[in-house]
Amino acid sequence: MKNLTLGRYIPYNSPIHRLDPRIKMFSLIILMVAIFIKFTNVPMNFIMYGLIFAIILILMAMSHIGLFTLFKQLKALWLMILFLLIINVLMPNTGAFFKVWFITVYYNAIWQTLYIVIRLILMVGLTMVLTTTTRPLDLTYAIEWYLAPLKVIKFPTHEIAMTISIALRFIPTLLDETNRIMKAQESRGVDFKNGKLKEKIRAVVSLIVPLFISAFQRSEELANAMEARGYDPSAKRTRYRVMQWKFRDTVALVLVLGFLAGVIVTSVMHLDFIVLLTPIVNIILGWF
Amino acid sequence: MPITFKNVSYVYSPKTPFEYEAIKDINVTIKDGSFTAIVGHTGSGKSTLVQQINALLLPTSGEVIIDDFHIVANKKIKNLKEVRRHAGIVFQFPEYQLFEETVEKDVSFGPKNFGDTDEVAMQKAHRALIDVGLDASYYQRSPFELSGGERRRVAIAGIIAEEPKVLILDEPTAGLDPRGSFEMMQLFKKIHERGTTVVIVTHDMNIVLGYCDQVIVMKDGAIVKVTDPITLFKEDNDEFALEIPLLYQFAKKLQEKGLAFDFTGAKTADELATLIHKAGVKR
Repeated sequence: MKNLTLGRYIPYNSPIHRLDPRIKMFSLIILMVAIFIKFTNVPMNFIMYGLIFAIILILMAMSHIGLFTLFKQLKALWLMILFLLIINVLMPNTGAFFKVWFITVYYNAIWQTLYIVIRLILMVGLTMVLTTTTRPLDLTYAIEWYLAPLKVIKFPTHEIAMTISIALRFIPTLLDETNRIMKAQESRGVDFKNGKLKEKIRAVVSLIVPLFISAFQRSEELANAMEARGYDPSAKRTRYRVMQWKFRDTVALVLVLGFLAGVIVTSVMHLDFIVLLTPIVNIILGWF
Repeated sequence: MPITFKNVSYVYSPKTPFEYEAIKDINVTIKDGSFTAIVGHTGSGKSTLVQQINALLLPTSGEVIIDDFHIVANKKIKNLKEVRRHAGIVFQFPEYQLFEETVEKDVSFGPKNFGDTDEVAMQKAHRALIDVGLDASYYQRSPFELSGGERRRVAIAGIIAEEPKVLILDEPTAGLDPRGSFEMMQLFKKIHERGTTVVIVTHDMNIVLGYCDQVIVMKDGAIVKVTDPITLFKEDNDEFALEIPLLYQFAKKLQEKGLAFDFTGAKTADELATLIHKAGVKR
């Protein structure tokens, strides 16, 4: 709880940090789509995953995120991976298989589990790049911008963006509060880590009740403060930080779209890099 | 036995971009039975320091010795609960830690956690509630229907009921009116007189002068001075940016206007009045 750095925004001045939040969000979605595209055969899938992983590594290096942080986040996924593997292995499948004791294990089942795991890792990595390089507030601005077309059908885009940004704004505050109350209760002899079920429930109650009370109080204070300053959700407003589309954003857009196009072509045309590259490698080897 | 800090350092969120060393290489002894004030600017490490005393934060390096308990960096503490019972801490705005349905249940929560039977815990709770000035009519009320000041009393009673040997107070008078603040300090004085070591973190120099016998001045995570309040306020304290207690401000104004007298040693308004009277009689 104390070292919750899970994808928290870390201020640096990297090229990724400087990108417009809109293009960053768009790229995230595009790259996620790319992760879910299937290719002609198993080795080809792995080659493409490797490619995407390499891109993520480059992005992480550019935005000053250590590889270590990614693995720290994946720690929580271990149980899920094991669960997936068991489920997938127990499911009937097709193709080649081998036997372990009396269980039939299909290679396809193992590949599928691996696909899911790799996709998860890639998605966590991508999301982490987005959230560590973009201020939560900028992200909500981007969301609001993308929702703008819905204004035509009277969809409350501003209210939703405001709600999200307030929620995001209060996550660290509530975490601090949780920490504070936990400490206060710990000094009154509450043990949050050990103890019987009954004691644990009591411990949680001693945390939840004060937390809720202070959260409600905060929200009331905030609502009053906003109203006192004449906040009107339907009013037309300007912004302190204006999002500006720069040349580098266009470059990023072209790169990302180009990558997606390449991935789609590879998938639709059933291109197989191994088959394609073998003659070239043979020619090069022939020279020696 | 005293509380001793030996080369204690504490780092928040180590090995992350948010790494921050709150206290550095602290060496100090808080005397047994003393009423010690810890003063210093916001962010000087006062709260971090006091949280080491009951092992809420464990030192990143160094050692804290509280009576028979040794808290050593990177070592597991076996008798954590006993340490916590030995040193009770009242956090800033403690009224936010209440959660039970009735006042007496909330106050007895601590003693029960530390292994007292329901009966004993309830007795201790009632005693603590009387100490803080809340009578039997409060026992069955919900803490959430009380006023802010009363809630704070209930929360403090919750710690006093644990009967700690060391009572740590983090800004206990913050947000109270002068009268409430005075009553609160009278309560801590009473508890101190029963033999409890009291450690108070405060910004209010009037409290430091009026109640404390040892002052630890902190700056940027280090201890810059350990002294007693009279010596502290006698000297010029511009470098630590500490306020001068009202009593001394008043006495200094009198001196400026020509009343020649030595006001060092005065801790209360009564004592100062006696000194002024003596000075007046001499003339």
